[in-house]
Amino acid sequence: MKDNFINLVKPLLPKTDYCSFRFVSKYTNIISATRGVIEPVITSEDDGLMVTVFHNGGFGYGATSNLTQQGILQAVESAKEWADFSKNKLTYSPDLSKLKNQTGSYYTEEEDNWSKVSMKDKADYLLSVNKALKSQPTISNWGASMRFNKIETLFIDTNDSHVRQKISYLLPQIIASAEHKKEIQTRTFGGHAHARQIGYDFIDQINMVQKAKILAEEAVELSKSPNCSDQVTNAVIAPDQMILQIHESIGHPLELDRILGDERNYAGSSFVTPEMFGKYQYGSKLLNITFNPKLESELASYNYDDDGTNAEKKYLIKDGLLLRPIGGLFSSQRLDLDHVACSRASNWNRPPIDRMGNINLEPGEDSFEDIITSVEDGIYLQTNNSWSIDDKRNKFQFGCEKGTLIKNGKFAGVVKNPSYRGITESFWQNLSKVGNSESNNILGTSNCGKGEPNQTIFVGHSTPVCLFENVDVFGGV
Amino acid sequence: MKDYFQKISDKLFNSLENHEILVLNFDAEKTDFVRFNHSKIRQAGNVNQATLTLNLIFKKKTLTSVIRLSTDFEKDSVLLIRTLSYLRREIPELPKDPYLMYEKNINSFEQNITGSKLDNYSITGNILDNCHAFDMVGILSSGTIMKGFANSLGQFNWHESESFNFDWSMYAESGKAIKQNYSDQEWNQEAFSNLLSESKEKLKVIDNKEIILQPGKYKVYLSPSALNEIVDMLSWGGFSYKANKIGSSPLHLMEKGEKSFSEIVSFSENLSNGISPKFHSDGFIKPEKTDLIVNGKYINSLVSPRSALEYSVNHNAAEYYESPVSIHLNEGLINSNKILETLKDGIYISNLWYLNFSDRNNGRVTGLTRFGCFMVENGEYKGPINTMRFDETVYNVFGDKLVGLTDKSQLLMDSGTYDERSTYSSTIPGAIVEDFKMTL
Repeated sequence: MKDNFINLVKPLLPKTDYCSFRFVSKYTNIISATRGVIEPVITSEDDGLMVTVFHNGGFGYGATSNLTQQGILQAVESAKEWADFSKNKLTYSPDLSKLKNQTGSYYTEEEDNWSKVSMKDKADYLLSVNKALKSQPTISNWGASMRFNKIETLFIDTNDSHVRQKISYLLPQIIASAEHKKEIQTRTFGGHAHARQIGYDFIDQINMVQKAKILAEEAVELSKSPNCSDQVTNAVIAPDQMILQIHESIGHPLELDRILGDERNYAGSSFVTPEMFGKYQYGSKLLNITFNPKLESELASYNYDDDGTNAEKKYLIKDGLLLRPIGGLFSSQRLDLDHVACSRASNWNRPPIDRMGNINLEPGEDSFEDIITSVEDGIYLQTNNSWSIDDKRNKFQFGCEKGTLIKNGKFAGVVKNPSYRGITESFWQNLSKVGNSESNNILGTSNCGKGEPNQTIFVGHSTPVCLFENVDVFGGV
Repeated sequence: MKDYFQKISDKLFNSLENHEILVLNFDAEKTDFVRFNHSKIRQAGNVNQATLTLNLIFKKKTLTSVIRLSTDFEKDSVLLIRTLSYLRREIPELPKDPYLMYEKNINSFEQNITGSKLDNYSITGNILDNCHAFDMVGILSSGTIMKGFANSLGQFNWHESESFNFDWSMYAESGKAIKQNYSDQEWNQEAFSNLLSESKEKLKVIDNKEIILQPGKYKVYLSPSALNEIVDMLSWGGFSYKANKIGSSPLHLMEKGEKSFSEIVSFSENLSNGISPKFHSDGFIKPEKTDLIVNGKYINSLVSPRSALEYSVNHNAAEYYESPVSIHLNEGLINSNKILETLKDGIYISNLWYLNFSDRNNGRVTGLTRFGCFMVENGEYKGPINTMRFDETVYNVFGDKLVGLTDKSQLLMDSGTYDERSTYSSTIPGAIVEDFKMTL
């Protein structure tokens, strides 16, 4: 969005109690190779605007992909009409005096630009990854892909705010399935959770070809392995499963709009109630959870949220004690709580709601080796492949791609279909070791769904490996 | 909007060079979204969006761009001609696509399902007036959805429908809730009032003292909505030809003839309700009905044109994801008016929630009860139950443990609005299942 365009649209901000324009320009490029064939390559360009109006105690929005002057004015009219209609009919009216002028920017640090590498080179590389995946004869399905997203937002409002942010991220994916006696087992590269704000050099760093060979071997090994047995045991959980554990049983239940009931018809509410903040022991004293939009290269790093609120790192849980919710400036007013900059929208065509940004489990002191050595009897669980949790975020069940038994501090064989179930309120109390920064992974997922109308958004989770006691583990049929 | 799509299509087709083929898909909607909480408006607004997908085909190569449109012809013309140039410049970089297939026969038609113009302010006012005494939370999505297809060979298709979807829950003071959905082309006050009355009656029952269930096996009634959640899991590759070939289908053992459902179970993909467009994104015309499972036996998969070439079989115009868009499960014999008597002692499950596989190879699914779930004793509601996790195979639910299906189906319109309003639907009866395993 060039400066002359901004100068053109700024006078279109209407004279209302408050109005903001949020322009979003999104570019996506997806290249995939599946079973040795390049799939149709897709690029996508998506430009649009959301107009938000607060006026006389009413609220409305108008969103349009028509960025002509006429289109923008029509969106303004829609927003004003809904604001007019909703006067005295709103669940709550925010205190607009809390909104301050914000001026600033954010740009992803890219070491190597996506567009500098030709489509042919990317396609050829993915075909070489495919070749490495099919290195084993019993591999029945295999594929690799790269997804690149660039999201540019411009936020201006009647407080003369001017915020420009450009986030670009890369998601490399690998999958290998092996068949043995009609039993199919699959390994993926981190459960497709390696999305980062990072340049194309990430592809070289992770060495997808090397990863492909390892994953194919592991899929074959899994297909011939016994089922995980039912047991209550110690579980060492790898970062690519911890990401879902944190996401579903800490991130979602702490979202303030759930606690306030907005999501009760769709994504659900929470077992967390307002009076628990500052008092409730969420987990053991080893549990430290931050909202951290400032961790370089993590997927949801930014300087401002989509309501123009300045972003900073804050503890949500410290030494196991619940401190604050994931609630944006507007939501937090509804309960007079401290806010974080988490008011985010999936695109220009959806209004901001309380979302996770980067929700991280802070590293502890134990090395991965020390944690394994400390376990007399247990299981090491890697890579999420199934997740399910109740509407209050309490009764959960997760499935993992790979389980490795631990006996007397050493690995003692692979098992397939490992799953575990538990209850959030007791599970985190059993956190007994937290890995150090060397065992930490910066991960991210691009498909967190929530909201009415529905929104899919990208979130980051940085986490080390962790040890939990008394976990109810079981296997397949 | 149809005129605009025709005009912009002509502009692009006239810009093609020798031997180039261009396939266009158009998606647009004008929707008012009103989100409610505590029977008041939480967020309300309008979304006006249009998208064109351009698929350029040249010398057996293909490249696709998806472009958001302003629908201003002059502005979009510049953008789209530039996009066409990009596709033309980049396409030589790619290898030939061995699974490229597009419709070469011309079959143009239009399908318009439009009622009287929906007045969304009036509908919203009506909802607020009727719900103010309750704790209602939900979403109204209302407006026009437009989908179009055109290719440079001369085919043109158009699908336009104006409809609303009000999806809501009513909460009792105890925190228990009843979920309802009302969707149609025209707002009928009597139909809405009847649904509200039904909710209010159930709300009285569900506000009783909660009965705490222990893990174990229970006889259950699964309402059409609850059963549809399990059917949705089957749709994660279960009916896909490709997924069955590569082994990611939860029904791959059934497709191989090693497992079966009860003889009373027959599934089909049935587009006769007209909610989903009948044209494929590559121009093929979809059959009105495709039998998938007949009398418990796996008969057909959904086969996309790409899978057809990869596996040398005939396709049935399924989209590349090979999932049903309008699945139909045949009714059974259980009298829908005597569900409680037939269940006698068990659990009445109105909704299931957050399903996923616990063993995909063997069709084992987990999930939770949610909204309106009751203990039934001697054919009468005893009281609401606590949230329970189930873990059960689809071969039990639709096979050995299936007592029967109800004699009436329900049309369930997908209220999904990720990126755009969904045009999916399903037609599903209820089911009584015994030994349904609750685990937590």
